[in-house]
Amino acid sequence: MSIDAAIRLRDVHKRYGHHELLAGISLDVPRGGKLGLIGPAACGKSVLLKLICGLEQPDRGDIEVLGESVLRKREPELGPLRQRVGMLFQNYALFDFLSVQANVAFPLEQRGTISARDILERVTARLRAVGLAGSEAKLTAELSGGMKKRVGIARATVADPELVIYDEPTAGLDPVTTQKIYDLLAADQARTGATVLAVSSDVVALARFVDEIAFLYRGHIVHRGPAATILDAPDPLVRQFVRGELEGPLSEARA
Amino acid sequence: MRQAVANVGAGALRVAEEVGGIVILTGQTLRALVPPRVDTRELVKNLYKMGNRSVPIVVLTAFFAGGLMTLQTGPFVKKLGATALAGWGAGYAVLREIGPILIALMFSGRVGANNTAELATMTVTEQLDGLRALAIDPVRFLVVPRVLAMMVMLVALTVIGDLVALTGASVVGHAMLDIEWSTMFHSFADNLRPYDFLHGVYKSIAFGAAIAMSSCYFGVTVRGGAVGVGRAVNAAVVAAAVSIMLLDFFLTYLTG
Repeated sequence: MSIDAAIRLRDVHKRYGHHELLAGISLDVPRGGKLGLIGPAACGKSVLLKLICGLEQPDRGDIEVLGESVLRKREPELGPLRQRVGMLFQNYALFDFLSVQANVAFPLEQRGTISARDILERVTARLRAVGLAGSEAKLTAELSGGMKKRVGIARATVADPELVIYDEPTAGLDPVTTQKIYDLLAADQARTGATVLAVSSDVVALARFVDEIAFLYRGHIVHRGPAATILDAPDPLVRQFVRGELEGPLSEARA
Repeated sequence: MRQAVANVGAGALRVAEEVGGIVILTGQTLRALVPPRVDTRELVKNLYKMGNRSVPIVVLTAFFAGGLMTLQTGPFVKKLGATALAGWGAGYAVLREIGPILIALMFSGRVGANNTAELATMTVTEQLDGLRALAIDPVRFLVVPRVLAMMVMLVALTVIGDLVALTGASVVGHAMLDIEWSTMFHSFADNLRPYDFLHGVYKSIAFGAAIAMSSCYFGVTVRGGAVGVGRAVNAAVVAAAVSIMLLDFFLTYLTG
């Protein structure tokens, strides 16, 4: 594996029943790079992220993350690699038996290598950064969707991972908070130099955050190009999707 | 006819799949205990939640179960003039069979079902994936403390239930059948052996393991949102009840 690639996927296939969701995905994300992944609903974006984290296994193909294969490994074997990766889930995946503060502290506490005082300082700073100062004692069930998302971001980034995977980091947030969150993610990335892979339906906001955007459609990456020019992508399919136009090849394919 | 055979075959495959899944989860749980690193905070929380809060319902059930045994056997022993055996009749049935089974079924309905619902909700809301993504093994963190807590607490509740049931048998014997307190006491003391009590305790260990493993298995393998959670709870309670009856039969057959 090239030392420059934080994520390397080769010919990855994933099938659910008779439906082949991913039909030979090959994708590299360079170390320190920021790649956005977009595509229609239920096209397999979240599944792809789970495959990268080793939470699911592909039917075929190779996946290497931070220089290590995630295939056919038992849970304990994946532990050291997962400690280097932060993941924000689409549906938050917050632990409802813990408070906001305990959720964010959880990854640090489980490592057992950081003092309680340092954990408290880092968690407090992270919650302040995502605008949740004062909500430390709340249970996650008491939070709105947007607040849960911000707790999820805080938990995914509190340990300064080398690779951060965001599944819809701003879904459910208002435009101002969305921009604040992306500014925070950008500042974090600039500080840590982490590699970022982000899935978002908010293409315009995503394009301001990432360097490149890849378009996943019908099991394949059909486009990959600079984020800054995504609105003028040469592929009419991508152009229609990112512009949200009703007429075009995407609609015809769906019909 | 062919369809009926196919249905039976499909049902048998489903059961085999579930039994296999429970056996695999049991293996993973045992492996997670070596070396024995248990999250003590989770263990203590579950011991309290599963045990302490079950005491009132167990006491109530056991008291009336013991009383019922005396009500059923009392008239016959009085008719035969064998009141000295009234306590033995009730105590033998309670310690060896009624106590462990009844308390295990109550425990399964209250604690096992709750455990399945909790784990299933965590599964469908991706909390288990969240743990795995943070390099935490859900079996070690969630399943092991729950299994240990359920096994320990079912034994403790069975012991409490046995004592309460014997008290219930004595109270009913005295109040409704005019059997003297001392007669009941001597009937227990002279006729019941320590093994009768231990026999029930052994069973409760096995029942606790069966309830724990089936409730955890159906919780962590749930599919399909809220509807799936309901189905998982139902399947866990049924599986636990069947396991309790089968284990009871074979343990009684093998150990007398």
